Amino acid sequence: MSLPARTRFSLFAQREVGRLWSVVWVPASVFVLSVIMRYRIRDVRDLRRRFRTLVKETDKPIVICPNHLTMVDSALVAWALGGPWWLVFHYRWVPWNLPEYHNFASVWVSRVAAWATKCIPIVRGGERDQVSKVLKRIQHVVSRGDTAIIFAEGGRSRTGRIQMETIAHGMGRIINSIPDCHALCVYLRGDRQDRWSTIPKRGDSFYVDFEVFRPESENSGMRRSRDFAVQIADRLVQLEEKYFARQATA
Amino acid sequence: MDQDEVRAKIVEIISTYAKDKEALASATDDTNILEDLKVNSARLVDVILDFEDAFDIEVEDEDADKVNTIGDALSLIAAKI
Repeated sequence: MSLPARTRFSLFAQREVGRLWSVVWVPASVFVLSVIMRYRIRDVRDLRRRFRTLVKETDKPIVICPNHLTMVDSALVAWALGGPWWLVFHYRWVPWNLPEYHNFASVWVSRVAAWATKCIPIVRGGERDQVSKVLKRIQHVVSRGDTAIIFAEGGRSRTGRIQMETIAHGMGRIINSIPDCHALCVYLRGDRQDRWSTIPKRGDSFYVDFEVFRPESENSGMRRSRDFAVQIADRLVQLEEKYFARQATA
Repeated sequence: MDQDEVRAKIVEIISTYAKDKEALASATDDTNILEDLKVNSARLVDVILDFEDAFDIEVEDEDADKVNTIGDALSLIAAKI
């Protein structure tokens, strides 16, 4: 799993540059979400209290595995769990993100911005060795104490519900490759989010719930990674069912 | 099991996931499983797990990274059976 020294240094530099100017970009991102887009997180104090308790009580590597409905889900999840200044001062909990390369690569400004905000671009469905290199980078940063967001479904759900048939094997693979790595399953959904979209509707209010667990499997090799990915997706389905059950009784 | 039988079994397994059945009918060892046969990248894992079952082998994630073409799959399986 060890990376070439040059790649490790490159990741270190990327992290530190991002950390240094996180006092600008983290609050600015939250300003866009909370003031310009007027998004709200429901029960945010309780949510952050639960998350901070989890952070205090665990020293295990954690990969955040949310459902995926919009292109700003990773920012929403980080904001919901951490809050801007908490994230600035606990920078390891600003998750590394794997945005689709083609979504932003055409403009150099967005490439630079992505680099400086803990993003490692990936070409989904691209050459296997390139995808593997990206996953190894994520394994490296998570095993060093940072966290990363890997969307359980690989891409935004086309049905608006968790899609078991498109679950991201790479998610299970990363967790399998890091000793005692836990999955933080996060279910995020805007009240007005009926299906997938580019961004949530302005003024939307978000339900967020999470569960952390260590996937288990008696298998080895790829089958073990697959078992992990399926268990994580199953947890997300349970969280989704809980959400819809609450909606039905509300 | 000789190489032709292995290749035939590989093609049979892939046929379940390939969207381009015409390309599959004329597939060679150089045929790319994702690009030419239009297998969804998320399903490539299922393809390789089916190889494990069919040939009674175990494949590591790193081994699977090398599988781009039918020839790659053939080499992987030949090395393990």
